[in-house]
Amino acid sequence: MRAALALPILVVPAKAGAADVGEVGITVLGYKERGLIRVTEPVLWGRARFMEAWEVQGSAAVDIVSGASPQFVSNQSGRPVQTITGASVEDYRKLFDVKATRHFDDFALSVSGAYSDEHDYRSRAFGVEGRFDFNQRNTTLAVGYGQSNDRVSSADDPTLDAPRDTREYLVGVTQVLSPTALVQSTLSAGRGKGWFSDPYKVTFTFFPTGLPILARDSRPDHRDTLAWLTRYRRHFPEARGTLQTDYRFYRDDWGIRAHTLEVGWQQTISETLALRPALRYHTQQAADFYSPTSTRPQPAVLSSDQRLASFGGVSPSLRAIVKLDNGFTLEATLGYIYNARNLRFGGSGSPAFETLRAYYGIVGITRAF
Amino acid sequence: MRHRAALATFVVVALALSACAPVAPYQRGYLARDDMALDGNPGMAKALEKTFAAKEAASGGATVGGSGCGCN
Repeated sequence: MRAALALPILVVPAKAGAADVGEVGITVLGYKERGLIRVTEPVLWGRARFMEAWEVQGSAAVDIVSGASPQFVSNQSGRPVQTITGASVEDYRKLFDVKATRHFDDFALSVSGAYSDEHDYRSRAFGVEGRFDFNQRNTTLAVGYGQSNDRVSSADDPTLDAPRDTREYLVGVTQVLSPTALVQSTLSAGRGKGWFSDPYKVTFTFFPTGLPILARDSRPDHRDTLAWLTRYRRHFPEARGTLQTDYRFYRDDWGIRAHTLEVGWQQTISETLALRPALRYHTQQAADFYSPTSTRPQPAVLSSDQRLASFGGVSPSLRAIVKLDNGFTLEATLGYIYNARNLRFGGSGSPAFETLRAYYGIVGITRAF
Repeated sequence: MRHRAALATFVVVALALSACAPVAPYQRGYLARDDMALDGNPGMAKALEKTFAAKEAASGGATVGGSGCGCN
């Protein structure tokens, strides 16, 4: 069912009647960053195909964020370091999304909407996507348009209420390569304008002489992005395993260039159990305006947010999938994230980047009907 | 200009891929396996995507029309 829904070129085995096939599931994410943020996120989701031509999917989630967040970068000690300030944060984010698809002979049209709300950020988004099957349904071409209209505010600044609007365009192709292999390549471009600065982050710079500078995070009021994602799947019947590879190239007009590669191998152990070890690698080049210190005079755009720095990261993970006879599937994933400046591909990362070590676990249960 | 170059490269790759020999519907049993899915479990995929997007400068690529977050 999962593969059939994700790959429109395949024929979904439909039962007779109004409600044909579907799945509902719940997953819970737990994320813990050493000394900092802790995140818990339950996600309730479902999808169904009915009346043969209609497909609906949707999800609802709550992010519960607690712990301390790095806000200051200061060089008072002689070198720039992240400083945790203020009381422990506690934040809730609610997310909803729904997508409806109408299937025609060799064409499918989808309309989607999404809404998320937290105390200092609200996002409304919608999307339209068309998929065309041809070449005896071995090739699917997808085109899409999406738009999000967000509002940024701040618990520290009651006067902040600024828009951030993004338009996205997508073109993609899914191709069956052989009875055991397929590939999908998707290109998406985004044009954003509005408030992109982080209202909570500050750069505190001391100089040998004179007064220090306290610079608020200040980013350009536009962001044009390009992401190229290619995914490859190949099943090896004799080994009872499937290679799952995703590669994404990303660039934007802030100067960021990033490469992300994930390689996974899903091994069938028995009729009920499968294991999926995977390794993800990410490397990125810093934004043009990233700096852990300010110059004098203070530049017009400056951010010391280390997510905009040069660094690399590896993330090994292991997933177990247990299929039960009564239509239930249990899944559990354990992963570790290690981001460091010396893991950047092709050169050293930003010297002020502070190593990130985090653990996450996701458990989920799915019921097919 | 760079977007156009990327789009042109994409079209060439897409045309090359569509030249593959067709696979008949009765040969697609393996392709319909759960582990051949491109997106996998939606709940797990959403949770992972958000986790990495909150710690990196890059995100997106698979779809459009998703909502954003403050992710401070």
